[in-house]
Amino acid sequence: MDELIPQFAIEARELVQQASDDLLSLEANPRKRESLESAFRAFHTLKGSVGLFDFGPMLGLLHQAEDLLSQARVGKIVVDATLIDPLLAVIEWVDSSIDGISQTGRLSEAQEKQAPRLLRLLTGEMTEPDANAGADAPTPLPEWASALHEQADLVDAGGSLIAVRYEPHPECFFNGDDPLATISRLSDLRYLAFSLKEDPPLPQDYDPFRCNLLIEAISGGSLAEAEAVFRLIPDQVKIFTLPGATAKQASAGPEASPDRSTDRQSTTMRVDSARIDKLIEIAGELITAKNGLVTLAEEARGHGNDPLARRILANHHEIERLVASLYSAVTQARMIPLEHTFRRFPRLVRETSARLGKALDLIIEGETVEADREIVEELFEPLLHLIRNGLDHGIEPEADRLRQSKPPRGRLLLCARQRGDQIEIEVADDGSGMDPQRVRAAAIDRGLISQGQASALSDRDILQFVFAPGFSTASSVSDLSGRGVGLDAVRSSVKRLGGTLELQSTIGCGTSFVLKLPISFSMTQLIVVQVGDERYGIPISDVIETHKLAASAVQSIRAGKAFVLRNRTIPLLRLGELLQMQSPNSHSSDLKVLVVRAGEEEIGVSVDAIAERAETLTRPLAGLLHGVPGIAGTTLLGDGKVLLVLNMEELVQ
Amino acid sequence: MTVSLKTDTIILSGTCGAEEVETLVGYLESLPGLSVDLGAATAIHTALWQALMVFRPRMVGASMSSLVDNRLLLALNAFLDDTQEPPVKLAESSSSQ
Repeated sequence: MDELIPQFAIEARELVQQASDDLLSLEANPRKRESLESAFRAFHTLKGSVGLFDFGPMLGLLHQAEDLLSQARVGKIVVDATLIDPLLAVIEWVDSSIDGISQTGRLSEAQEKQAPRLLRLLTGEMTEPDANAGADAPTPLPEWASALHEQADLVDAGGSLIAVRYEPHPECFFNGDDPLATISRLSDLRYLAFSLKEDPPLPQDYDPFRCNLLIEAISGGSLAEAEAVFRLIPDQVKIFTLPGATAKQASAGPEASPDRSTDRQSTTMRVDSARIDKLIEIAGELITAKNGLVTLAEEARGHGNDPLARRILANHHEIERLVASLYSAVTQARMIPLEHTFRRFPRLVRETSARLGKALDLIIEGETVEADREIVEELFEPLLHLIRNGLDHGIEPEADRLRQSKPPRGRLLLCARQRGDQIEIEVADDGSGMDPQRVRAAAIDRGLISQGQASALSDRDILQFVFAPGFSTASSVSDLSGRGVGLDAVRSSVKRLGGTLELQSTIGCGTSFVLKLPISFSMTQLIVVQVGDERYGIPISDVIETHKLAASAVQSIRAGKAFVLRNRTIPLLRLGELLQMQSPNSHSSDLKVLVVRAGEEEIGVSVDAIAERAETLTRPLAGLLHGVPGIAGTTLLGDGKVLLVLNMEELVQ
Repeated sequence: MTVSLKTDTIILSGTCGAEEVETLVGYLESLPGLSVDLGAATAIHTALWQALMVFRPRMVGASMSSLVDNRLLLALNAFLDDTQEPPVKLAESSSSQ
């Protein structure tokens, strides 16, 4: 296979993303010149890359697409759905081809078969520009503007000029408008004229409070300024940039916000993430290695060499400080903006909403917030799930929305914020919300709680049952507007990343999910325990206290065991049993018990021995161990041994 | 009083809001042939400018207070000059009063 293929795949994916971002932005605002230019560049570069290989019809398709964009740039065709839809279809097709290409080095037959259909789409009828559409095209100067322009030439020529034709609404005085005062606010007013739109009426018909004026002006100010002056009455004014001395016609788009993604791309360097992972691994090992110095110092003290012990300890502190800053620097290197995941949603939402026939706006905020690469990438699935849920079951069809006096277009918010060393991501819809009564009924129905328990729980608590495994079944999809579908899976994948998922919902107003995640896989304090011959790590944050318990203090309660701690009965479990280990019947006199928190309750877990504490970097499980319940991750000990870190809450459930 | 009558001249002074247009139109309708002096006005609402365009009184005082855009007066005069023919019906009816 061509060794350039992997490089091609990386570049093509980026270009595909860029092109689809630009096309979506054009769809939202067809007059956005930068997006049109950027889309053209993306297609052009992509075509160039594809030209290096033989991917059958791909080159021709991209050529055709580029050609269309190039026609749109010069205004021969209009930027609208008939242009954007086929281009997006091509981009989606290229996107789905890349995986196959990077594996086999050529375009798969299945993909190739779709090419003629796409070519037909691309060669279909495009919209010809008509006189009053397509601001990107060099629109002919309206008659009024050219007449005005002649006047302006008398006054002054030079600089860019804005022609304004303002026909105030007849009732505008009642709105507090003062049209002549408004137009006087234009800076550098070169020409001003006003006249009566209709001949003056009979005196008895003359209404001094009806505005009957036509105001025309030419200003040397900017288009943006003129638009700002008339921002409240855009329907009553026509603003036009006169082709003056300045060659470049200012874009007439109302949104002149600079493209956010293009600003931050410089100063970056592409590094294989495996290299950074290696660095993190080494930094992690350094952290554990430096712990060895403490034992060394104690040994020195044991030999009566106190000065040496102190020097070792001083060194330990220095190394500790350096290692910590090394670690945080390398962790930083793994941070990428959430944009990497967020930018994939607009296209997906567009597709899904079109399929469901629901019009909605996806609002993305805070995409610049950064988090560990792995977290950002792993977030895609859970977020997609939540967004689909909101789209499918949250947002109502347009007719229903109008009946409830809601705006016809649904609103889906995807918003990220940084909160200390956590990121908070909110996925909210303004749809129908969840009905606690239905959730309550369904929870009782599934035997998750009893009638009595259900009525004792608040609405907020009862909603949490949508996260319960097995809560959702096929039959509940329509029952509960399908909210339960896979939400337990979402919650567990968020948990695996060390995060939490919360839910709030109000009937009729919508549902909001809040994900709280760590920004990176940070240092964890572990307590190392021994069961049989095995050692396990337990995050200290899970452990409330440790206890030495006489065997006689353990009482049998039905099938289980419990003990009394400060007048409270606490259930006792054996870690060996939880881990399904063959533990030798060690009926020693004393039990070592960790009191851990499991949800709202405290549970005692007995272990054979409690060993040292360790500060380590816990990484989520990958590969075969991925998704094993009860295991939070792995970590490396100072002696090179791998330690499994347990998730107590999952284990005791 | 921002719109006041002094011998044969209607004087606009200070800030003349939209509500003043009734006073102005009242004078212009009932006493044709009056002149209008804008020299002392600091702000004139569009409704008043429009009334001047409709009734076409003789304007006295070529300059305005610096607070009012002089171009507005220029534009008004340009309008009055361009449309020399006074609206016939209006002129007849106002002179008959």
